[in-house]
Amino acid sequence: MTRHTVTLTGLRAVYGTGARRVTALDGVTTSFASGTFTAVMGPSGSGKSTLLHCAAGLDRPTEGSVTIDGRCLDDLGEDELTRLRRERVGFVFQAFNLVSTLTAAQNVELPLRLAGRRPPARDVTAALDAVGLADRAGHRPSELSGGEQQRVAVARALITRPAVVFADEPTGALDSAASRQVLRLLRALVDDHRQTVVMVTHDPAAAASADRVLLLADGRVVDELTGGITAAVVAATIAERETASGRTSDRQGTASGGTTVRRETARAQAAVQRPC
Amino acid sequence: MLSVRRSASAFVAVAIGVTVVAATTLLLASGRPQVPDRLARAAVVVQSPEAGAPADSFAPTLPWSASRAAELTSRLVEVPGVAAAVPDRTFYAQPLVDGRPSGTDAQREDAHQGHGWSSTRLGGTRLAAGEPPRRAGEVVVDRALGLRPGGSVTLLTAAGPEPYTVTGLVDAPGVLVADEVAAALAPGVRAIGLLVAPGADPEEVAEAARGVVGGDGQVLTGDGRGALEPRGDARTRWIGMQVLTATAALAGFVTVFVVASTFAFTVAQRRRELGLLRAVGATPRQVRRMVDTEALVVGATAGLTGLLVGAALAPVLGRLLIDVGFEPATFRVRYEPWPVAVSLAAGPVIALLAVWSASRRAARVRPLEALREAAVEQRPIGRPRVATGVLLVAAGGALSLGTATSDDARSAATFALYAVMALVTGATVLAPAVVGPVVRILRSPVRRRGGAIGMLVRAGASTATRRTASTAAPVLLTVAFAVLVSGMVRTTTAAYEAGRAESVNAGWIVVPDRAPGLSDQAVAATGGTALLPTTVFESDPGTSPEHRPLTALGVDPAGFAAANRALTVVAGSLDDLNGDDTVVVTDSANRLPSEPYALVFADGESVSLRVVAVVTDDSVPGDLLLPRHVVRAHDPSALTSAVYVSDRVDPPVGARIIDVSGWAAEADHAEDRLVWLFTLLLIGVSAGYGAVAVANTLLLAAVGRVADLRLIRLAGATRRQVIWLVTAESALVVLIGALLGGAVAFVGLLSIRAGLAEQVGAPVDLVVPWSVVGGVVGLCLLLAVLASALPTWRSLRHRPARSPVGHPSMVGER
Repeated sequence: MTRHTVTLTGLRAVYGTGARRVTALDGVTTSFASGTFTAVMGPSGSGKSTLLHCAAGLDRPTEGSVTIDGRCLDDLGEDELTRLRRERVGFVFQAFNLVSTLTAAQNVELPLRLAGRRPPARDVTAALDAVGLADRAGHRPSELSGGEQQRVAVARALITRPAVVFADEPTGALDSAASRQVLRLLRALVDDHRQTVVMVTHDPAAAASADRVLLLADGRVVDELTGGITAAVVAATIAERETASGRTSDRQGTASGGTTVRRETARAQAAVQRPC
Repeated sequence: MLSVRRSASAFVAVAIGVTVVAATTLLLASGRPQVPDRLARAAVVVQSPEAGAPADSFAPTLPWSASRAAELTSRLVEVPGVAAAVPDRTFYAQPLVDGRPSGTDAQREDAHQGHGWSSTRLGGTRLAAGEPPRRAGEVVVDRALGLRPGGSVTLLTAAGPEPYTVTGLVDAPGVLVADEVAAALAPGVRAIGLLVAPGADPEEVAEAARGVVGGDGQVLTGDGRGALEPRGDARTRWIGMQVLTATAALAGFVTVFVVASTFAFTVAQRRRELGLLRAVGATPRQVRRMVDTEALVVGATAGLTGLLVGAALAPVLGRLLIDVGFEPATFRVRYEPWPVAVSLAAGPVIALLAVWSASRRAARVRPLEALREAAVEQRPIGRPRVATGVLLVAAGGALSLGTATSDDARSAATFALYAVMALVTGATVLAPAVVGPVVRILRSPVRRRGGAIGMLVRAGASTATRRTASTAAPVLLTVAFAVLVSGMVRTTTAAYEAGRAESVNAGWIVVPDRAPGLSDQAVAATGGTALLPTTVFESDPGTSPEHRPLTALGVDPAGFAAANRALTVVAGSLDDLNGDDTVVVTDSANRLPSEPYALVFADGESVSLRVVAVVTDDSVPGDLLLPRHVVRAHDPSALTSAVYVSDRVDPPVGARIIDVSGWAAEADHAEDRLVWLFTLLLIGVSAGYGAVAVANTLLLAAVGRVADLRLIRLAGATRRQVIWLVTAESALVVLIGALLGGAVAFVGLLSIRAGLAEQVGAPVDLVVPWSVVGGVVGLCLLLAVLASALPTWRSLRHRPARSPVGHPSMVGER
């Protein structure tokens, strides 16, 4: 049986009150198997970032529960949650979010320093080496290109040997060459180190690096693609969804190139009980 | 992650605060009573018993009578180790130069004091020329007066001008006469100096002297002899202490306040960075500790800087205080360890107090804030904050009521100060909640005038309420303080002035000119109604303090009743005040007519008097009324403070004549001047601070908003428009702060006015010195505009597209 690193059950997230009330997630149940690379896609406002934030323990869902590496996040206090995130979760942001006053190496070791540990210099060097930036250890973010900054961010996400790495539009601010480099890096993590990676993206080409693509609309998972994913298939599925939007039906079939597309109603997912 | 630019403003604010605290505490520690030069050689001095509470250090002591002093002196000289015991007598005597009281150093009490020649033994004063005075009509004067031995001089004494012959000169202030003359002019003695024989231990002598005098005096040695300083010096020192304490307290309070708003601001600006730290694994506690540590480092270094600057400034300020009249001329700056310790601790303590709420807010930053835009702040104000603000405002209101109902001016002032502190803090805490509505009220003129800029200004001010509030807070503080304190002082002065003019029924008033009071001859020459104040003592072994000083006024009852409109007789008749043993008391004495009343006079004699009438407390500017001749008989140095006359007369020597309104205005002129200077000093401290704080926050804001402003440039605004935008924004913020501050202060002023009206018994006009208020607001406005327009202008020198605008917006991505 496949081990699931992250399990989401019946997630609902509602923000604001009254007229400004927004339902970002409307009953999402899914899981991310260990050693797999999942892309989460969907139009703006579909809830994909909220999904990622809830799954990573950065945000709390209004309803439903999240389990990371066997630990249920629901009842953790802010400090415990932070500690769990620090030890078991890596996060890569769109805007890199490196601390501008620290060097690349200091940024990488920051999570461990916050945990009260002083990592050996060779671990930090190894982490930077793994993203191809061993020679940039002493540079500050302003002295690095966007692609390099994002790779430092990946190294920072990996330094604690997390159970799962979440990436929120990691290529959103990069040119295509730098994007490809970052995606190859993430892919290699999954292939070589059985790292679990969950990535939110707009870009079908980026999603093509994943083993599985979740398509979100209006806070629900509406499509799921697995096997032989290419940019063309992803783009075609999204386009099809947009034309057929509003007429979702329960069907399961095989698209061209052996990609499995599974369509499901949100109603079925919302009925799942909280498991912990 | 201490950033120099970010910390600079907090550093400057703390450093200035500690500078003020260090300078004032050093000066405070230096303000100690000085042993008068006149008694410097007497290692042991026996002083007559304290009258009044020990804290009330400028109440005169209870004098020994001439016979008691003689008896004590003869017994003290027998004490082993005592070479000589010399009674020190002090009386009023002022040389006339060119027919007028000498104007040199009229402020100095010892310039118009006379002593017996033997007192020179106690201070080691030597003749610079001529001979000592040996008989009546001979005097030794200060060489600085420019007189020659053998020449003649007119001495103004309580009786009037008298001719004397100068027999010698000394290099000391005051005049010296033969001991018999001194004994006649000052029958009561307050100090006996003991010259200790060579080889004898002053402490042993003092111990033996204590055995001799028992409870009838205090034996002073070493620095303890500072208690013998002139009462005027003690009073000046006390005023200086009040000024310094208030300045130090205000500086501390304002610093905490200003630094707190700086920290709050930097935390608001760093939400993204703090959110990032939270996202990569910092716990809330770690974030808080980080912010606290930064504050501590800034506080400690700024504190050290402030201490050094303050220590360097202390002597300069000390001289300034002497010149202005807040410290006696004998004041010297001394570097004591405690102010240094206090100032060293002040930096970190101020910084930690100031960062408390900011670091709490920093710890609440959520990791997701790293992903959001920083400018749109969530939740402008929390419920606990509203509760705190409301509580503070309520406390301020209660204290204002305390001000209004307090019948003692000193405690009213204290209440007022605390009330302002509470109101100002409350208003600042509530500011974010109030900013939105105020902006909306103000929006119409801005919008009409500014078009697109007006729209941006309004949107900016009401969206970033916390930024607006933290910029408006120092303006609020400054304006509230300036309006309230200056208004309070001016209103009080005017109220007392009105009360005085109201109570006097006379056309003209003769007052002393360059002399502490009017002589009997001057009073006789004017022929009006005069008050002859003296200090008498009431002794009751059952109470503590045992001896209590009272102000008695020697009057002619008929004239006094005619001139005093406020006089209300409760019992008995004022006309009976003529016998040697008669006295009129006030309500609060709790005595009935014909009751006996024993008092000790300035000559040390105890006299049993009989109450003939009781008047209300506010009828007389003192505690008792006595027949004028009784006061004169017991106090040869008593001087008349004022003579009320119905028609204008030629003023006698050492006097001038003014009309009632002029007199009412200048009666407390010297004191009012000191109070006003003090007020301006305090307003200066707070306004300087407020302006620094406004500039600080706006500088920080300008730097943080460069990206925003470039976007507005890209959207088609000209550079001039952008400068207009930031200038209008700053002006709006200053205006909001000034309005809120003015409102807070106005509430306080109204309650003070109510209190004064009750106290004075007449309607009181609210006086607000608009020039001071305008100056304070103008200063804030000027610095605000400079601090926002200059950095913006500099940052917009380049074409808009040449510099990066920042990260693409991620708002709305869910």
